[in-house]
Amino acid sequence: MGSIPTRFDVIVVGAGPAGAAAAYHAAKRGFKVLLVERGRGAGSKELYGGRIYVGPLRDVWPGIEKEAPIHRWVVEERLSIIGDGEVATLSYRYSNPVSFTAYLPDLTRWMVSKAEEEGVVFVDEVRVDSLVRDGEGRVIGIRSGPDVAYASVVVDAEGANRLLLERAGIVDALDAKRAPIALGVKEVLKLPKGAIEDRLGLSDGEGLSWLIAGTVTKGIPGGGFIYTFKDTIAVGVVVHLGHSVNAVEAGVLKESVKDLVESIRLHPYFKRLWRDSDIVEYGAHLTVECGLDYMPPHLAYDGLVIVGDAAGLLLNLGYTVRGVDLASYSGMLAAEAIAKAHDLGGMNAENLRVYENMVKESFIYKELVRHRGICWLTKERRFFTSYANILLGILSNLYVQEFKHPTVFEAVKASIRSGGEALLPLIGRILKVVREL
Amino acid sequence: MSISDKSERALSIDELLQRNVYDVDDEPHIIVDTEKCLKCRVKPCTLLCPAGCYTLSPDGEILFSYEGCVECGTCRSICPMDAITWNYPRSGRGIYYRFT
Ligand SMILES: Cc1cc2nc3c(=O)[nH]c(=O)nc-3n(C[C@H](O)[C@H](O)[C@H](O)COP(=O)(O)OP(=O)(O)OC[C@H]3O[C@@H](n4cnc5c(N)ncnc54)[C@H](O)[C@@H]3O)c2cc1C
Ligand code: SF4
Ligand code: SF4
Repeated sequence: MGSIPTRFDVIVVGAGPAGAAAAYHAAKRGFKVLLVERGRGAGSKELYGGRIYVGPLRDVWPGIEKEAPIHRWVVEERLSIIGDGEVATLSYRYSNPVSFTAYLPDLTRWMVSKAEEEGVVFVDEVRVDSLVRDGEGRVIGIRSGPDVAYASVVVDAEGANRLLLERAGIVDALDAKRAPIALGVKEVLKLPKGAIEDRLGLSDGEGLSWLIAGTVTKGIPGGGFIYTFKDTIAVGVVVHLGHSVNAVEAGVLKESVKDLVESIRLHPYFKRLWRDSDIVEYGAHLTVECGLDYMPPHLAYDGLVIVGDAAGLLLNLGYTVRGVDLASYSGMLAAEAIAKAHDLGGMNAENLRVYENMVKESFIYKELVRHRGICWLTKERRFFTSYANILLGILSNLYVQEFKHPTVFEAVKASIRSGGEALLPLIGRILKVVREL
Repeated sequence: MSISDKSERALSIDELLQRNVYDVDDEPHIIVDTEKCLKCRVKPCTLLCPAGCYTLSPDGEILFSYEGCVECGTCRSICPMDAITWNYPRSGRGIYYRFT
């Protein structure tokens, strides 16, 4: 950071969707902003699933629909349950899309370019090593190696793997057995021209989002995903990390997590979709399973506000993930709060906690609370194994018969029995699952 | 690089990582105290590191290589022995994602 001035109004650490939004909106409000990123260029460390809800982003990024590097608008949702040799698929098509697919590295780069247009000073290739505090514990800047930069307020937008907050003693060291975190592993496959449209029945610019449950995660809470991009398809899995460790300990998981993705890519039901494709990238990233349980004790401290994944502001509903939109929205709220704190007289914790209130009053927090039950679900191992098998068993009893077909009730009863579940508690549990979703 | 059988067979971790763009740092960003690994019964890192950075030598010792690391943070969160000193690569180094 040698050549740049070392005193700013606002320093934002991490140029992801949250940090870029905080920087953009703070600069728009007239603050002198430094945005710092460890990667080479913006976006180079970004990996996610693939689909972003546009609603909240219209407020954060005016013009996003016209200008952003959008690939496809999602018009079809699919959900498959995979058993041993069986697949059940539900598909839902609609005509008024509300979400799009994009490469997150490209989208983030676009967001950062918007921030730069507003006058944000963006520096990449700077790994921030710690927050700098004064004698009274107030955050007054950042340190990277020997370099220090100062600001009235620092915005922590470092993402789910929160080294800086850990080092500052604000959150506990990351422990998979206690924290609600999951690992996502993903492959990107490049298809021949026109293949995505032909094989998935999509028109130009139409996209598809596909969630996969069942044996693909070896009973570990989580699931698989498939998203369509311009000429590529992303295939991946997300597994709850604490349960993954348990599965290794119990000898249930004997293969590498990369084999879980490979088994979807090579699954007879799916592999025809990407015949003749090239794998062009492979990667992994941590994500938050249950935002409320990942939140730091406060979202604002003296000289510090926390946004995006680092603040636990991610909604994982199992069948869909809302991280990018919530992260960006929280960044915008942080910038508004900084402006308010400025008017109130300074960046102390008391003034900055308007941010905490703004988050709590926004749709973000309300959604997190409304879907709190999902946290229970991600801990419910049974949901990922026996329920999937029971459903497949019902379908098998109904359809795979040579002479005599059972009634629906007989099929359900037989499948539940062979799954070793009692009918009434099972119905209770299924109702609970439906209610929580 | 065009291999046409790749969607028909399982690839090794090295074959997968070859698809990526890296600027590998000259010094490791993650240090593993492999003495501690000797007492680690389950060794979850060998299966849960998505980049296969942790492997077992023929005599059961942990071998760690940082070059293919995708900087996910999994290993630091699952190690029961506190054997890992974890950091991101130095500024700008490491994985460079393009289509993710
Ligand atoms: C497998 C997976 C699938 C997902 N699927 C979806 C999806 O389909 N839709 C969706 O909306 N969301 C999805 N998400 C969630 C979404 O990716 C995140 O919620 C979102 O990226 C969070 O944005 P952020 O800005 O808070 O953090 P990040 O995007 O993680 O950005 C943090 C930035 O800070 C930088 N940084 C970190 N530490 C430092 C440091 N010390 N110094 C300098 N820079 C630093 C990083 O390099 C990075 O650029 C998914 C996530 C995963 C892992
Ligand atoms: S989990 Fe930790 S202690 Fe165990 S083998 Fe891996 S690095 Fe070593
Ligand atoms: S950070 Fe992730 S990719 Fe790197 S060594 Fe640890 S588990 Fe493997």
